[in-house]
Amino acid sequence: MIDEARPIFVQIAEQIEDDIIAGSLAEESQVPSTNEFAAFYRINPATAGKGVNRLVDDGILYKKRGIGMFVAEGARARLIQARKDRFRDEFVRPLIAEAAKLGIDPDQLSDMISTEGVTA
Amino acid sequence: MTTATPTSATVSSDIRPPQAGNAHPMNRIWNAARLNLVNRWTVYWIPLMILGFIWLVNLAIWWIINASVGGADRTDAMDGTQWSGASFYIFVYMLVIAVQSMNMTFAYALGLSLTRREFYLGSSIAFVLLAFSYGVILTALSYLEEWTNGWGLGGHMFTSVYFGSGPAWQRLFIFGAAMLFFAFIGALSGTIFMRWRTNGLLIAAALTTLLIVGAVALITMTQSWGLVGEWFVTSGPQGVIAWTLLPTVLSGFAGYFILSRATPRG
Amino acid sequence: MTYNPAHHPDAVVRVRDLTKRFGKVTAVDGVTFDIRANTITGLLGRNGAGKTTVMQVLTGQEFATSGDAQVFGESPAENARVLSQISFIKESQRYPDDFQPKHVFESAPWFFENWDSDFAARLVSEFRLPVNRRIKKLSRGQLSAVGVIVGLASRAPLTFFDEPYLGLDAVSRQLFYDRLLEDYAEHPRTIVLSTHLIDEVSQLLEHVLVIDDGKIIIDEEAETLRGSATTVVGMRSAVESFVAGRSILSREGIGGLASVTVGALSADDRAQAARAGLELSPVSLQQLIVRRTHVTEKEFENQS
Repeated sequence: MIDEARPIFVQIAEQIEDDIIAGSLAEESQVPSTNEFAAFYRINPATAGKGVNRLVDDGILYKKRGIGMFVAEGARARLIQARKDRFRDEFVRPLIAEAAKLGIDPDQLSDMISTEGVTA
Repeated sequence: MTTATPTSATVSSDIRPPQAGNAHPMNRIWNAARLNLVNRWTVYWIPLMILGFIWLVNLAIWWIINASVGGADRTDAMDGTQWSGASFYIFVYMLVIAVQSMNMTFAYALGLSLTRREFYLGSSIAFVLLAFSYGVILTALSYLEEWTNGWGLGGHMFTSVYFGSGPAWQRLFIFGAAMLFFAFIGALSGTIFMRWRTNGLLIAAALTTLLIVGAVALITMTQSWGLVGEWFVTSGPQGVIAWTLLPTVLSGFAGYFILSRATPRG
Repeated sequence: MTYNPAHHPDAVVRVRDLTKRFGKVTAVDGVTFDIRANTITGLLGRNGAGKTTVMQVLTGQEFATSGDAQVFGESPAENARVLSQISFIKESQRYPDDFQPKHVFESAPWFFENWDSDFAARLVSEFRLPVNRRIKKLSRGQLSAVGVIVGLASRAPLTFFDEPYLGLDAVSRQLFYDRLLEDYAEHPRTIVLSTHLIDEVSQLLEHVLVIDDGKIIIDEEAETLRGSATTVVGMRSAVESFVAGRSILSREGIGGLASVTVGALSADDRAQAARAGLELSPVSLQQLIVRRTHVTEKEFENQS
């Protein structure tokens, strides 16, 4: 679940984001505590706290004093938008660039994608 | 479950050891004493059981003597048992307890974050308590032996000549002080071993031997063996035992300073 | 990763230029480091690197040859005020010959103010420890369990675990990690974990100290170390041109293939490597330490 290549707090933040996007963590619902995350992923609680705090800084989670951490309203839409932006930067742009190198025009590319979509 | 992260500001800027309730010096020393007594089997039941077994064997021997020898010879033979060393075992056992304490219990005590000084002072208290309680037990047994006329057979185990036949406080003093002597001699050798290992013990043994040989040579050359014998007779058991308090106390102090820089094995 | 001695205001352990010699052998050679309050710090390194000696000095069991070691602002040697705050669990701990585990659990609470006897009882049943058997007759793993239980239940403000689980099976070790994390989360305290099973504990650590040949060679946040090295594998010529000018941690090769471990790579670096047909693989904390301490990986595998 946790890989060796990247800081754990980044991976924890991404896990929570994934859960919000998938809907298993609904907006305005309480998220597990830092210690629960730490126990579940078997990681240092300070590291888990760092991951959670990053989402608080991004406005995805917010703190209710004395109660705990909650998913912010609109968090899911914002996360999906952010992921879409990242998807465009990380996958679509290199894809188009590579296609252009090989002389594949956008129509052909689009055809290839829909064919793949059918078989996949 | 709380949501506090462990790194959050629970840390005061002044990192001083908080004064813990059970960290009171006397409490820790008393607990070090208890550490030596926590296994009742080792300090009471097993040695008493062995003592009981030795007593049974002696009882059997006395019975055989009674059954096979008659008349004046029997009285002679049973009087001879007052030279019995049957109860010496318990004193040697005390020495072994002290050696083990300075070795194993010491390593364990440091593992529980005691200081060497706390451990030694606590152990000394434990030795005094053990010596006192064994003194009481042996004194009681010596009276029992008297009242039953040598367990009905005229035998001597707790009323042998080394212990005298004075009043209760004198018997208690003799038994207790002898116990203490063996305890602190054992503790001293234990601390020497912990501090300087085998070489230390060898050198200490060599020095002790030299001292004894020297004393024997001196007495022989000055032809004073008569005087020595006389001294033993006039001092009596309690007088001789009183003199052992000197090496006991010296060993006690020496052990403290030797252990204060010692390191457990392993 | 250049070594720079940290100066933390909230350090519970402060070691400056500490040296410990045993006769002609220098076990600890002028080390300087801090341990921050309420963290889990890994004190890592190969066997005989000096880990145990450092901890023995910090817990007053050994006397320093030179230099300064302070715990809670004071020297720990023969200092009851400091030592009463410390629990030191070591693999080589000796117990009185006649002791059974029950004697340990009866006497240990006398010395730890925060001792939790319910927690201890729970751990005894979870580790399935026979409490009425002579300690001498316990298996290696059961003996380790005795120490682990004392270390956890004592809840000392500063707890050292020195190779606490020799002989414990994987299930029991996982149990130890789980209980350690849970209890640490609820009762924050400073924990120093010394082990050769680095992969197993790397996620538990907040800070990492690596000692090699008596010297501190890594003193870094665990998260900083994570991903701080990458192994590049491929055709020798391609690998060599890719790593040229980078800081190289280690280098291996068979025939025309090369495997070189370098520092952290940026996204551009990764893209460049992919174009050159090179394979990139992350380096675990354990591998990183193996490469930095120049030993075979075998030494860090389970030797129980």
